Amino acid sequence: MDKILPILIIMGIILVYLGCRYIYMKYQSPFTLPVLLATVVIIVILLTFNVSYETFLTGGKWIDMLLGPAVVALAYPLYNQRKLLKDFYIPITIGVFTGALIGVMSGVILAKLLRFNDSILYSIAPKSVTTPVAMDISGSLGGISPLAAVFVMIAGIGGAVMSTFTFKYTGINHFIGRGVGIGCASHAIGTSKAMEYGEKEGAVSTIAMVMSAVIVSLISPLVLLLF
Amino acid sequence: MEALRVICHIAILYIFYYIGIVIQSFLNLPIPGSVIGMLLFFTALTTNLIKPAWVKDGAHFLIKYLPLFFIPATVGMMNYFDLFFGKGFLLILIVLFSTLLVMIIAGRLSQRLAPDLTEGTTSSDETVREVQNG
Repeated sequence: MDKILPILIIMGIILVYLGCRYIYMKYQSPFTLPVLLATVVIIVILLTFNVSYETFLTGGKWIDMLLGPAVVALAYPLYNQRKLLKDFYIPITIGVFTGALIGVMSGVILAKLLRFNDSILYSIAPKSVTTPVAMDISGSLGGISPLAAVFVMIAGIGGAVMSTFTFKYTGINHFIGRGVGIGCASHAIGTSKAMEYGEKEGAVSTIAMVMSAVIVSLISPLVLLLF
Repeated sequence: MEALRVICHIAILYIFYYIGIVIQSFLNLPIPGSVIGMLLFFTALTTNLIKPAWVKDGAHFLIKYLPLFFIPATVGMMNYFDLFFGKGFLLILIVLFSTLLVMIIAGRLSQRLAPDLTEGTTSSDETVREVQNG
């Protein structure tokens, strides 16, 4: 059983994901986004059958192993679009810097206004950047790293879900605006959504995500000094 | 044959990932190994150390199914449900609101600053249309 269970879990995750992907292709809506739908379906299944997250990870870790090389693979569209990134580096840089600053400040200020304690503030500050960076940042600030990871997931999935109507109603229709907006707000999960808009959006989003990770790790301690 | 090629391509990407992790832990950097690996891989492509054809199919495969690889991590939220009952629910709203704010302001600002919008107003076209993920 010890050997079969992880394999069953791996197959289960892939089946649920492919099923959700199929549903998304048939009924495209922000709420059928595979990463959202598959996460919800799997959590419901695990809770229903009383399976712990730790047990789930015995299979899940094998899929998680591919996340690293998948992030590395993002350099490929980046390379294809390198000319474009050179042409637009000024709007990208200014946009990302502003986005990173707003992301850290707005989260911290709102949490402070609603009287959440300091460890929550330190965990919410880096929510716009990719998980490992966010966990490191919140850890070094004195926050709760796993909680930071949860905020990162909410920002990632939430941003990917909200992007379609946000872009529609705010007139963000250029690949630079879309890529910077989604990459800054929703890191790698957002980037996977940006790839769906097109390779240019995906490349800009990748750059925005990387720059934003570096900027947020530098400005978070400074912003928190203010509060 | 096709599958074998994809696996070989992914192996190359994995090597870069691994080098990234080694550098990260060796120098104790705050940037994750995967991002370091990506920057190295990008450098290897631009300096012609790696030919795009050596990784093309593997990279396409991983990017096409990118959301799948996040699922083990996103499911981890299930351990923190009780945190969001009661007042904690406000934290979700804060994160969503702040995310929206970043997206709109960073997006609008960079779009406004982007030159020559006349010919490129519509969003990108060609490639990666087959990427129907999320």
